[in-house]
Amino acid sequence: MDLFVQQTVNALALGGTYALLALGLAVVFSIMGLINFAHGELMTISGYTLMYCGILGVPFAVSVPLAILAAVLAAVAMERIAFRPVRGGSGATMLITSFAVAMILQVLFQNLISARSQAVALPQILSQSVHLGNVIIGVNKIAAIAATVLMLIFLDRFMNRQKTGIAMRAAAEDFAVARLMGIRANTVIAGAFAISGLLAGVAAVLWVSQRASVDPLMGFTPVLKAFIAAILGGLGSLRGAVAGGFMLGFIEVYLAAFLPQEFQEFREPIGLGLVVLILLFRPNGMIPSRFLGLIKV
Amino acid sequence: MKHLILTSAILAALTAPIGAETLTIGTATAQTGGLAYADVPTMQGMKLAVEEINAAGGIDGATKIVLLEKDVRSDPAQTSIAAQELADAGVSVIVLPGDSDPALAAIGVVSSAEIPAISTVASSPTLPEIGGDYMFSNFPGDNVQAAVSAKWAWDEGYKTAWIVYSPDTQYTTMPLYFRDVFEKLGGEMLGVSTNTIGQQDFSAIATTIAAQDPQPDLVMTSAYEPDFPSMLIALRAAGVTSQVIGSDGIDSPTTFSLGDVGENVVFTTAGFATKGSPLEAFDKAFEQKYGTAPESIYSAVGYDLIKVIEAAVIVAGSTEPKKIRDAMADLENVQGATGLITYKGTNGMPVRQVSLIRVKDGGRELVGQPSPDANLIPAPRMQ
Repeated sequence: MDLFVQQTVNALALGGTYALLALGLAVVFSIMGLINFAHGELMTISGYTLMYCGILGVPFAVSVPLAILAAVLAAVAMERIAFRPVRGGSGATMLITSFAVAMILQVLFQNLISARSQAVALPQILSQSVHLGNVIIGVNKIAAIAATVLMLIFLDRFMNRQKTGIAMRAAAEDFAVARLMGIRANTVIAGAFAISGLLAGVAAVLWVSQRASVDPLMGFTPVLKAFIAAILGGLGSLRGAVAGGFMLGFIEVYLAAFLPQEFQEFREPIGLGLVVLILLFRPNGMIPSRFLGLIKV
Repeated sequence: MKHLILTSAILAALTAPIGAETLTIGTATAQTGGLAYADVPTMQGMKLAVEEINAAGGIDGATKIVLLEKDVRSDPAQTSIAAQELADAGVSVIVLPGDSDPALAAIGVVSSAEIPAISTVASSPTLPEIGGDYMFSNFPGDNVQAAVSAKWAWDEGYKTAWIVYSPDTQYTTMPLYFRDVFEKLGGEMLGVSTNTIGQQDFSAIATTIAAQDPQPDLVMTSAYEPDFPSMLIALRAAGVTSQVIGSDGIDSPTTFSLGDVGENVVFTTAGFATKGSPLEAFDKAFEQKYGTAPESIYSAVGYDLIKVIEAAVIVAGSTEPKKIRDAMADLENVQGATGLITYKGTNGMPVRQVSLIRVKDGGRELVGQPSPDANLIPAPRMQ
């Protein structure tokens, strides 16, 4: 039983990180119809910020907000430089643009920083654990779960109470009508990228604090997981992205924990098989978006 | 068309100097991508050796070395293409990436072109076995490393073990060799876990190991960056206190910068700079050229690779690929930066020293440089 509780904590922590990542993709997709595959590179930028802060001796408590800020700024810059010129283009145009942005950034990291993985200095507390009864929980797990909860509460407040958030929801519902009501497209889209950068930054801190290193290609795996989670949850739906992220985390951790050893080799195919199975019954995802008819602006 | 002419002109210029007084070594290595952690430092060591040899007038004072470099981006298909291009350019030796899988992708090319090929740091003993006469390795084999670490663990009094391996590559199956040796010595395996390369989250595996009562005396893995730090942090955070044993893949700066988590990890690698050793001299020369100390043993191993080729060319008395191959297969006690290297009597997997290193205070401490008992070394395993 203790083992099950502990593995559930692991699943919550991993699922939470996936949820943040999937949300970052979904926020932009719900408004622009763009799957931003350069989302992972925002994480890499955060990671390198953490690395440089560590080298310069900046305390971790300061370098974390700096790393998140770097991702936000990079996301806004990415929109301004790469995505705004192709905003009216087809979905495929924007998709290819996002791949191009990702590759250009990867090559820049490789050439300007290092092709090799670089170590990131982490506070010792992240590798410690606390005992709750018979259950041992890693501090990094608690941090991941807490960060996810905080971000979800913040996003919920932002989307429901703040003017920009409400405008973003309106734009996701029907961009043309929203614009007729006087909502500025640039503000909404830049806002969506800033939010996705914020989510990428938080996820990056959690991600890097697990692996203690950054490399130029580290953004690939998380964006792939986020994509799977977003599809699983229902593309374009924010609640769906969260549900999909947690579902993917639970599938991965429970399979790694409870699948018999003979089948462990096939863990990934079995996990993705389960994702396909869910999609067979719910083709638009677990919690599909109500407004998938996208209008270009 | 203009490009084509230009490219052929460059190619012609590159191929022109191949003659009696130059040895062209083609490198199809992973300067970017997942294997860059190994091949980038290896290349630095190779360049240092080439520079030294050329400054002294070339091999045997006569043959200058020219490197023809290609980046294969850690991709097997690209490795095969690059190897073909190098073969077409008429190189005498081809250097392949530091993992068996991309190196194996070039087998067809090197065998049919009859050009000897050496992988930078691939350590799977199956590589030369599958690769045939023209494929050589340049690193202590996985089975030898596992034999050394298992013997050490047994001698230290560790009786129970857990291994974490990945079926994704030959290299990451090293723990299976460890299991064979450890069980042969009388040790008991408490369990096996499987991971995938690039797996971010090791918490499920860590929690499973932590839940064993009693916990295994040791956990052995050949995972490398970024998997290894993730795994280690997860193990310690889950409350696993067992001795962790790794392999040469973690001989990198990240391992030494993990703080308390990394302390006491023991791993096998290709060398250790004891006082007055050739490796110490190499480290000095390296620092002089690059301004920083080598970040891993791979640089010295890259240096050794060129020394092996040099020795083979001297014996062959020629830059003809076939003659170099025959000479290389017969080399004995070549002095490299990490120690003596012998190919004679092997199938292309060199006999070279293995060092056991312990992470201590964020630095390296030599545990020993034992020669493994030949009876303990398991036969190469096809994955």
